[in-house]
Amino acid sequence: MTIKAEEKSIYAQAVDTAPDRHALSSTHLIRQPNDKSGWLWSLLTVAICTGVAILIYPSFELVDVAMIYLLGVVITASLTTKWPALLAALLSVAAFDYFFVPPRFTFAVSNTRYLVTFAVMFFVALATSRLTLRIKEQANDALWKEQRTAALYDLSRELVRERDMDKLKAIAEQHIGKVFDSIVIVLLPDVDGKLLPPIHDFPWNEREREAAQWVFDNRQPAGSNALTGPDADALYLPLIASAGNIGVVGLRPRAAGEKLDQGQLRYLEAFINQTGIAIERALLAEQSHQALVKAETESLRNTLLSSISHDLRTPLTSVTGAVSTLLAADAALDQQSRRELLETIQEESERLSRIIKNVLAMTRLESGVIAIRKEWQSLEEIVGVVLNRLGDRLNEHPVTLNIPENLPLIPFDGLLLEQVFMNLFENAIKYTPAGTPLELSASEELFTVTVKLADRGPGIQPGEEERIFDKFFRGRSAGGGVGLGLAICRAVISAHGGRIWAENRPDGGAVFQFTLSSAGLPPLTRREEEGS
Amino acid sequence: MRKCGILCFNAYTLIRIDTCTHLVLKMTENKELILLIEDEPQMRRFLRITLQSQGYRLVEAATAQEGLLQAASRNPDVVLLDLSLPDIDGLEVTKRLREWAQTPIIVISAREQEQDKVKALDFGADDYLTKPFNANELLARIRVALRHSVRSRSGRSEPIFTLYNLRVDLAKRQVFLGDKEVHLTPIEYKLLITLIRHAGKVVTHNQLLKDVWGPAHVSEVQYLRVYMTQLRHKLEAEPARPRFLMNEPGVGYRLKYDPER
Repeated sequence: MTIKAEEKSIYAQAVDTAPDRHALSSTHLIRQPNDKSGWLWSLLTVAICTGVAILIYPSFELVDVAMIYLLGVVITASLTTKWPALLAALLSVAAFDYFFVPPRFTFAVSNTRYLVTFAVMFFVALATSRLTLRIKEQANDALWKEQRTAALYDLSRELVRERDMDKLKAIAEQHIGKVFDSIVIVLLPDVDGKLLPPIHDFPWNEREREAAQWVFDNRQPAGSNALTGPDADALYLPLIASAGNIGVVGLRPRAAGEKLDQGQLRYLEAFINQTGIAIERALLAEQSHQALVKAETESLRNTLLSSISHDLRTPLTSVTGAVSTLLAADAALDQQSRRELLETIQEESERLSRIIKNVLAMTRLESGVIAIRKEWQSLEEIVGVVLNRLGDRLNEHPVTLNIPENLPLIPFDGLLLEQVFMNLFENAIKYTPAGTPLELSASEELFTVTVKLADRGPGIQPGEEERIFDKFFRGRSAGGGVGLGLAICRAVISAHGGRIWAENRPDGGAVFQFTLSSAGLPPLTRREEEGS
Repeated sequence: MRKCGILCFNAYTLIRIDTCTHLVLKMTENKELILLIEDEPQMRRFLRITLQSQGYRLVEAATAQEGLLQAASRNPDVVLLDLSLPDIDGLEVTKRLREWAQTPIIVISAREQEQDKVKALDFGADDYLTKPFNANELLARIRVALRHSVRSRSGRSEPIFTLYNLRVDLAKRQVFLGDKEVHLTPIEYKLLITLIRHAGKVVTHNQLLKDVWGPAHVSEVQYLRVYMTQLRHKLEAEPARPRFLMNEPGVGYRLKYDPER
């Protein structure tokens, strides 16, 4: 605790960015010649002036010699500080008297008017040196201000560009560390208000942790350099933003034992304020994003719940109804009715299973649990799986397949694409009258495979071509679903970088189309000789 | 079970022509013992009724521990294993069972992730069923599993395999569709006989690649896809609507085949 109480007070005050000129001299930003070389400079300048004057004296007037000495004083003043300049002025007058004023090589003066010359010469030298010094000081001041502004500007410019919390911290740590030649750490609290320990190299122990935590809890500086709070090796300052204390900045000068002076501390405060504003902005952005996600999830969940509770209840009612009839009136039922009830149970259970599968798929797709696993696969193979799985349900809808034999392998996620085909076919079965044909075709052009499923049903209501892909949108049909089938198709196809859309066919019916990219190199397949 | 005879089927229905009397006797009695490891009482009830109506004998276990004990003491012919058990994970049960028993394991799982299925199969399970499944499918899988275990114990295989209009002469390495001989490349032929050897069971991508191409090629699933497509085009009437060369997405391939039908 070496700093004085009055300097200490700056911590509790609002930011004071006014430069402290006396403090400047010791910051490493501006190098000043030290005292010893200043005295040497004044001696050397006077000696050189004397030498030059001796060389030119026979051909010049005494006045010119005095001018040379004045020039020497100005040079000394511009290179050194106040006291060496004063010495230079005194020495110049003495040397002028000794070497040039008759009688030469004595300090004696032949004429009293020379005493006036000496006095004028001394005061002119003094005045010019003071003026020179002030100009120099102002230049230094401006340079210091400029450097400080530039460093602050660099920091804020980089902070503004960044949104990621960890990167923001790294930028602040790096900039402040560079300017103050220190190791810097930005510490943020967890949800319970406990500061999280540093994730990178920063000397850390229980004492440091306590000091940092104290700073966070009390909004006062602590550690080395600070009067308040527990002592520690590093200096800890609160990171205060508009909403209050959001963290702590720890600073440990690289040079052992070095401490920051008042000017540096004020300057540091400006940096910390910039950092605080940027980190608060990132925190707020994160919070509002989370709130948005939460609200969206909430509304999705509500719609989903109300939608599926209806859609699950309908088939469930049929199943429980049919089962209770079978259990209660088994004997009274004829063979035909029994069979019909059993078939109802089977069909409705299958419908329940499909609804649940789609709901699960949608929630997984939306929550990002499913990672797309693309593999080079054959479209024909996936279509085969789907047709096989649909089985008897396609009896009323003859399917024509038009998949060229030379269609290349395409990179896609097999399970997800299977779901797309399944939903498109189920959609067609649901919305087109029994007996109408379906046609599935695929073609490749410019590394894009286009798949089309065409039907001969009533087509899509004009204006609904896009809306049918929305979640929970349902067409007018008897056996409704949740309205997720086509939404899942769209989610899957866009996740593959493709496009899915629907349109009416000019000669009746609708056609659902989607594209998949076949770009890229399918893994080489070794050819082998025909024949076994 | 010493001789299983030649199985021969006409073009569209699978009819056993030549059979071994011993096997027929065993199948009509259906005395095989099935161990069911499943914690859901409702599932156990459904499976009990279904399996007993087919004449199978049944041992039930509600936990993995009990299941492992029963497997050791009762020596079942087939194990039906649910993957999500209260005490030990089903995958772990598969692994432990395989340490000492070659009993066929059919995994039943509500998990739809193909990763779990593949893991169970890699741990030594013989086949899998995803909930919900229908009873006929379960019975078909049990028949396939029993048949494979019978054959692996007898150590014999039929010299001629017939399915629909496909006839494969394993001794002469010839493949016929009806009366017409089909020329397959060596890899296509190897792929086909690997599937025939496991007829009715799913064979994982890894296993197929290892058996056909060798252990160094297990990651090259795309080779498999290309050759399966070629094979389908040569053997199936409608390659996009295969009757027996079935794809199990994310898991592997299955030669659809039911010894009983």
